Amino acid sequence: MDWSIHVNSEFEIRSDLSALEVLSLDTGSKLTPVVDLTRRLIEEYFGSVAFTRCAYGNEFCEHLIPSAQQLKAVLTAAHDREMSVTFLTPYVSDAGIESLKPLFELLDQDGAGEVVFNDWGVLNLLRREFPRLRPVQGRLMNKSLRDPRVTGVYASSQAPAPALVSLRRSNLDCASYTGFLSALGVDSVELDNLPQGVDLSFAENGVKASAYVPFGFISTSRICMAAGIHYDKRDKFQPGAPCHHECQTHLLEYTYTNTPFENRDQKFYLKGNSYFYVHTEAMLRALFDQSRSGLIDRIVFQPRLPMIWERG
Amino acid sequence: MKVLAPISSYDELEMLAASGAEEFYCGIVPREWLDRYTGAVWLNRRSPKGGSLDTMSELKRLVDGAHRLGIPVFLTLNAPYYTAEQMTWVMELARRLDGEAGVDALIVTDINLLMQLSQARLNAALHISSVAATLNTEAIRFLLQFGPSRIILPRSLTIHEIERIVNATRDELEIEVFMLNDGCAFEEGFCSTTHHHTVGAFCTNLSEMDTEFERSGGRELTRRQNFRLRRNLTDYREWIWYVNGNGCGSTPNGLPYGPCGLCAIHDFKRIGVASLKIVGREASPFKKLASVRMVRAIVDQVRSGSEKLVTIERAKSLRGDREHCDSGYMCYYKV
Repeated sequence: MDWSIHVNSEFEIRSDLSALEVLSLDTGSKLTPVVDLTRRLIEEYFGSVAFTRCAYGNEFCEHLIPSAQQLKAVLTAAHDREMSVTFLTPYVSDAGIESLKPLFELLDQDGAGEVVFNDWGVLNLLRREFPRLRPVQGRLMNKSLRDPRVTGVYASSQAPAPALVSLRRSNLDCASYTGFLSALGVDSVELDNLPQGVDLSFAENGVKASAYVPFGFISTSRICMAAGIHYDKRDKFQPGAPCHHECQTHLLEYTYTNTPFENRDQKFYLKGNSYFYVHTEAMLRALFDQSRSGLIDRIVFQPRLPMIWERG
Repeated sequence: MKVLAPISSYDELEMLAASGAEEFYCGIVPREWLDRYTGAVWLNRRSPKGGSLDTMSELKRLVDGAHRLGIPVFLTLNAPYYTAEQMTWVMELARRLDGEAGVDALIVTDINLLMQLSQARLNAALHISSVAATLNTEAIRFLLQFGPSRIILPRSLTIHEIERIVNATRDELEIEVFMLNDGCAFEEGFCSTTHHHTVGAFCTNLSEMDTEFERSGGRELTRRQNFRLRRNLTDYREWIWYVNGNGCGSTPNGLPYGPCGLCAIHDFKRIGVASLKIVGREASPFKKLASVRMVRAIVDQVRSGSEKLVTIERAKSLRGDREHCDSGYMCYYKV
């Protein structure tokens, strides 16, 4: 099984990227406990792991797409450390497609790299103009319900078996879909670890699965709360509005105090335009057990919420 | 440019058609689906408790009635995904919707279903749902391989972005845009939450939760920073209130509030948008009626050659409450 770590810059690649040292990154006091828990469980299950790959880029916001210069520096640093690179891309407007093109040219020049797509338009561009780059289906393309307010409750209650089976799967369950992906040159898919558990039986069809820890995405939007800070009230919250990357200055923690269930202490996190849940110990153990049984091809460790961006 | 209205029963047909609806869309949730998957798994993006027809015979009556009036009926099969077990069942349902009920188009999100339907050679056309999150021209180019006749663009595209997409694809398919009622705080196709009645919509649910900001870099927030973040959060929650139909409210005249694109109709006519979607299969017959009348009134004005600013003034007067229009938070589109 492969281990990958999400990095923010060439400097992080050049530093000590052991699971122990990632705690020195700016995780923040609210999220440090789950990152620490994840690190400890990785050591418990897998011993001292070496990250042989780094993920770079962003899955959620086209304003956080890095510059060509930054990507070039990351590719150079990764070569120096003999690490492979996975380039993450978000869902995009036509303008976002244009900003990705020079980055794909760089990756193409660098050799056959790996690109995670979260938009059919990005896949179309890759296939037409950059056939040497290897497309990987991103986790936003996986439509499994992952509403942590309620899906964990479904899993622990008397939900009917067909409903629970459905909630643990996606269209990857269909051989017609995995066959379609394969015909497009997509043999790997990325996943979130679901609060209700994730059924990985599709891996038996030859599809490789990567899972992210310890954060799962809940929802994302072209309308960003953080970007509103610098707008007049009437002009706030417009789709795709230009921003000053206000998301990098803070995060917002929500506590589920208005739940109808027993999960009043549950937390959700907003960073920029996207909401995330954190993995519980039980969720991490379930995923690592699945990894040990060979159903997971790669784990991507994100020691910070995946909204990081390097100022140019 | 057609007015597309939601419909959930035959009884609504005559009044909606008489009020100006030129296309209909609806959903169906047969009993067998509910028995097997309960309310936890939705067949068509609406709770089985409301907004959908129950039986094929009801649907056929509705479709036949609409066709007698010369109005097409589109049907939603727009869950984000179907598992292998569900897919077998949904494909069989699609064949019956096509052959037995005679619907004019199927509205689809799941690309796997889209692919299978495109191979099934049904009479019904294929419309790609806004839930498919088709945000750029490249994505449309990709989806054209499945032969859709229409794509419903997400609410989150600007008029400029819509114009660019229409210009690039006008010879290949129709573009439908959102016009009235429900908003969505998130990118609908990338929102993994449920609107199940036990928890409600995540976006509105968040507005009632306790919150705490944390500054990046391990430093404390200053009082000024905290104040600015809190004020922005308050504004955001106000925006969410508008997105949620002004708290599901109505004007003093009883007309429905909610996100609105009336002021953009003039632009959409110029751009060449094919259809204007009124949201709300689950809405009351009165809300549907009032919504269709509002949209049709502005469409008729634009069709008659009215100037843009005149049309916008009329649209605002129809909404009936200038304060809400002036907030800027009730608009799908900035004109």
